[in-house]
Amino acid sequence: MGFRGLLAIVTTVAAFGCGPSPITSPRIASAIAPTFANLVQVQISRLGMPSMAASDFAVAASCRRLATGSNSGAGDWACTLVWRGPHHQALTDTYDLTVSTDGCYTATIEGEELGGPTIKASDGRDVRNLLYAFEGCFETM
Amino acid sequence: MSVRGVLAVAGVECSKLTAQLKTRIVLAACVAGPFAFAAAMRVQSTAPTDTLFGRSVTESGFAVPLVVLGFAALWVFPVLASIVGGDLCSAEDRYGTWTTMLTRSRSRREVFAGKVLTALGFSSLTVAVLAVSSVVAGVLVIGSGALIDLSGSLRSPAHALVGVALAWATVLPPAFGFTALALMLSAGTRNSAAGIGLPVVAALAMQLYAFVDGPDVLRQMLLTSAFGAWHGILTEPPYYGPLIHATTISAVYFVVGLTIAYRMLRHRDIGR
Repeated sequence: MGFRGLLAIVTTVAAFGCGPSPITSPRIASAIAPTFANLVQVQISRLGMPSMAASDFAVAASCRRLATGSNSGAGDWACTLVWRGPHHQALTDTYDLTVSTDGCYTATIEGEELGGPTIKASDGRDVRNLLYAFEGCFETM
Repeated sequence: MSVRGVLAVAGVECSKLTAQLKTRIVLAACVAGPFAFAAAMRVQSTAPTDTLFGRSVTESGFAVPLVVLGFAALWVFPVLASIVGGDLCSAEDRYGTWTTMLTRSRSRREVFAGKVLTALGFSSLTVAVLAVSSVVAGVLVIGSGALIDLSGSLRSPAHALVGVALAWATVLPPAFGFTALALMLSAGTRNSAAGIGLPVVAALAMQLYAFVDGPDVLRQMLLTSAFGAWHGILTEPPYYGPLIHATTISAVYFVVGLTIAYRMLRHRDIGR
């Protein structure tokens, strides 16, 4: 393989590589919304409250990339979740996300609306607050 | 090339391996490592939150093998995959034993196939031992509580165990890819330090690239990205795109590595 062959490979890689990143706002939103709903469901049953279906929380997510320039790609994101609480109250929570190139993310809540890292269950035990920080993955290819 | 011939070579290689202190130390570390990790998690209050499932590690024993899996992808799997493969050909150079070996009734092809079989067998063995030890350590030290997966759903212990087993099985293709690289470097450089060390250095360089937000196509061609293909198995609904891609990439590394290794060995002028 000579210089021209190498140039062809570099050009191909660059051409493909400069395409849009698969890490986009709709993909992150459609991953975090059901994950959050599932975690609320687990949290509620751990706290000893009456169980509910994940769909009862009607979670809707909208996400934006924090870095300026591109609106897709790995890095820091923020997602706003609008949902219905266990007492049917309307709630809005914002999470800061760190999304890695493989499509896995860590979400940490902004503020303390849903409690700190641990919360008290109805029987007085300290349990980990699943909604304080959580992680998940979505398909990037 | 006969199957009997290949098995005879593999048998000799295995008996050499079982006599080595190195092999025993590696296997002992694979057994003891996860127990030490699980015990440390139990006594300390901070969780390894920078690794997937790190937050769940004190709640469910099934998170232990997944944290070990995520951590081992950094450099442990490349080391385990190349520690024997990177030494098999170059050891014959070190001891000057190629001439004695090739005057036996086994062909070069049989010798090579036997060595490949041994290296792959050892890589599978270390991955399996580490997997079983992590699961046992998790269940015994932490407990068999339900596991919260990567989509926030609670998995029953049985369902979690199936996911963990499948996730560990996905490590084998990229591990075999590294074994093939190690065999290639071992045959090419005739030096065990290079045979074992270079695949590990290559793995670290690939990991570094994954942290940089470079072209995605290049990242997907890296063998180490295949170690993360299990994420889709632990989400609900599962996705298998990365797994299919990872297996394909691993197969390319495997075939290219072994082809080059075999060509170098076949064309070598041994005995002068």
